[in-house]
Amino acid sequence: MSFTRNPASMAAPSPPAARNLRQKGLALAASLRRAGRRILRFATDAPQPHPLWYWPDYLRALVITGVTTAIAFPLSPHFGLVNIIMVYLLGTTVGALRLGRGPSVVLAIANMLAFDYFFVPPVFSFDVEDTQYLFTLGVMLIVALVIANLMVSIRRHRETADAREQRTAVLYAMSRELAVATDAQAMAAAAVRHVSAVFHSTAVVLIADARGCLSPMSSDGPLGKEGQSPLPAFDAEFAQEVVARGERCIKDAIYLPLQDSRRVRGVIVVYPQPPTRALPAEQLNLLDAFAAQLALSLQRARLAEAAEAARISAERALLRNTLLASISHDLRTPLSALAGAGSLIAQPEYALNTDRRTTLGNLIERKARDMSQLLTNVLELMQMEFGNAALRTDWHAVDDLVALALRTNEARLAQWRTVVNLPTDLPLILVEATLIVQILSNLLENAAKYTPPGTTITLSAAAAEKSVLLAVADDGPGLPPGDPERLFEKFQRGRSESNIVGVGLGLAICRAAARLHGGDIRAMNNAGGGARFEITLPVENQADTAPEDEDGNRDTRR
Amino acid sequence: MTEAMHLILIFEDDQAIQNVLRMLFEANGFRVVIADTAARGENDARLHRPDIVVVDLGLPDRDGLNVITAIRAWSPVPIIVLTARTAEAQRLAAFENGADDYVMKPFSAPELLARVRAIVRRHVRGELPMGVLELGDVSIDLSRRVARRRDGRDVRLTPLEHRILETLARHGDRIVTHAALIKEVWGPHRNDSRALRVYIGSLRRKLEIDPSRPRHILTELGVGYRLVTDPGAELRG
Repeated sequence: MSFTRNPASMAAPSPPAARNLRQKGLALAASLRRAGRRILRFATDAPQPHPLWYWPDYLRALVITGVTTAIAFPLSPHFGLVNIIMVYLLGTTVGALRLGRGPSVVLAIANMLAFDYFFVPPVFSFDVEDTQYLFTLGVMLIVALVIANLMVSIRRHRETADAREQRTAVLYAMSRELAVATDAQAMAAAAVRHVSAVFHSTAVVLIADARGCLSPMSSDGPLGKEGQSPLPAFDAEFAQEVVARGERCIKDAIYLPLQDSRRVRGVIVVYPQPPTRALPAEQLNLLDAFAAQLALSLQRARLAEAAEAARISAERALLRNTLLASISHDLRTPLSALAGAGSLIAQPEYALNTDRRTTLGNLIERKARDMSQLLTNVLELMQMEFGNAALRTDWHAVDDLVALALRTNEARLAQWRTVVNLPTDLPLILVEATLIVQILSNLLENAAKYTPPGTTITLSAAAAEKSVLLAVADDGPGLPPGDPERLFEKFQRGRSESNIVGVGLGLAICRAAARLHGGDIRAMNNAGGGARFEITLPVENQADTAPEDEDGNRDTRR
Repeated sequence: MTEAMHLILIFEDDQAIQNVLRMLFEANGFRVVIADTAARGENDARLHRPDIVVVDLGLPDRDGLNVITAIRAWSPVPIIVLTARTAEAQRLAAFENGADDYVMKPFSAPELLARVRAIVRRHVRGELPMGVLELGDVSIDLSRRVARRRDGRDVRLTPLEHRILETLARHGDRIVTHAALIKEVWGPHRNDSRALRVYIGSLRRKLEIDPSRPRHILTELGVGYRLVTDPGAELRG
């Protein structure tokens, strides 16, 4: 069939009789009746071919006339013609209950003629002896037609209501599934599944990408006899045309545009099974409703996606801005110290003595190291936040990492008392050493920042069944009031108004690094006062960490 | 020591760092040649035959790693690498290409000077004789494999521990990479850093005064270990 925009012409070739106005009405009536019945059986039977002219009903009308006559005939010797008329009207009523408008009209006329032929004298003739019978026949016909009409109307109303209910039900079933689907893929799959089940078709959803190119989203084999059916072939060019037109088009399959409130986002292509089967107008309308529903859901998914993307980008922008603000503050402060110290040394007329020069030199070095540490933290966090942070792990001894962290912070911790408390039987841990040293380093630095000199900082570790616990504790003033978890957020400082340098990234990095290792970090106050940070790191199952010497003996000495 | 005669060749493109390094080494009796590109530096190396080379890995014209390889191809001159802290993999690559030591940027002047001096000293003296190693209050006779504390108590070292110590001692104060250490101690077919780490821990517990703060057997993260016989030397410069 060639491309046409008129669904009716696809639905069926019009019979020649349809040119007749009355028969057109009959055809319409039959079609409505068929549609009603079809909609009722949507999900159950396979649909049948659907001509507008359903001739068996006309035959049934004639049969009913025959039966009515057969019943009335034996009664005629005993009953008057008035009662015979009643029998025929009863026949018309019963028939109209089951038949469409056309057959009912035929039935009314046939009954009138049969009454005339078999009962009105002269019997077995269409002649009428007494002209008053013409009036009787006329009234009988009118009454029969009115009854038939009423019956058909009543039934049609019922059928329309049923169909509407059914239609609402199938749409509701799909919309319910679309509502729970979160992404376009799932929505397309749900739509395809429902369209397939309701219309006994296969279907494919084509979604337009940013450049307007259509690509199939999902396909589902509904007629499941050979299992999964392959993706049905679709005409991409034609689909593009459908997108451009924005209305339902029919070619080898039914192409429905997926139009949301703004534009056409895709096409759903429906293939009736078997391919030669045509869908009636009601089904096409229902398909339109399905497509509209799918389009709205897809729009919802797209909006949700856009909102999520906007949220993420806003979060990133916030992170970037805060980072920039903090860095520029935390770099500028030591930089002004550096510039000041440098210019003091550089002026010969100030004639600084050696002591003062040394002080300034030390200040310059310390500030520069602070800045370097800050930069390392920022870079580390950036890498963990934005990069694809694959860990470069190796086996390490906990005491080694602790020693490194202490060595790195030796100068900083000169005025603090550090105590190391490690059991000798700790298992090796599979970690990226720089990150673990960074965690410990940040915790030590933190302790030095937030406790007065002279405070004792204790580094300890303990082995649990499947993890190693590292702890950095101090006997200083303890954590600030509030939720300790808050400390691990980015740009969070223990004391917001303090002049302590640092962007508040240290603990955020600790958490990110610990979690990258499958562990975590928590903050708490010691029972005896002071702050305590605990890091847990999972320990892989390791068979032979106690090495053997060349004699094959386990090294068991301590 | 005849340090006054020692020539140091520095590959460094940053003007400020050039100035700092020149001041540092000239003030401490070195003759200094500075090259701001790899090409110029390699020329200078052939021309001046330096006693020690310091290479900044971030050179404008070529990767500093290439410079190490190129110099190693014809000269055993000791090479110290200046490297940024984050470039752990690069550090290891530098050792594999033949570097002798590294100093992390931002570096401290005394530390760099101490490293340079230690390496020059070692290079001039050649490899340590297999004699007696003094680590804190423990003295280890490497050839007889006996270790004893100053108070006369024996320190028992396993044969493997002796071999590790011996290998570290043979390299003087220079870094020995994990791979090299494992190869020398266990042979070429073993590649498990776990045993090494456990033995190092065990050695520290036997030899260090405070094993949690080792002063002699130092870890160089991601690279290897270094045996420091006289921990005070670096500070004294």
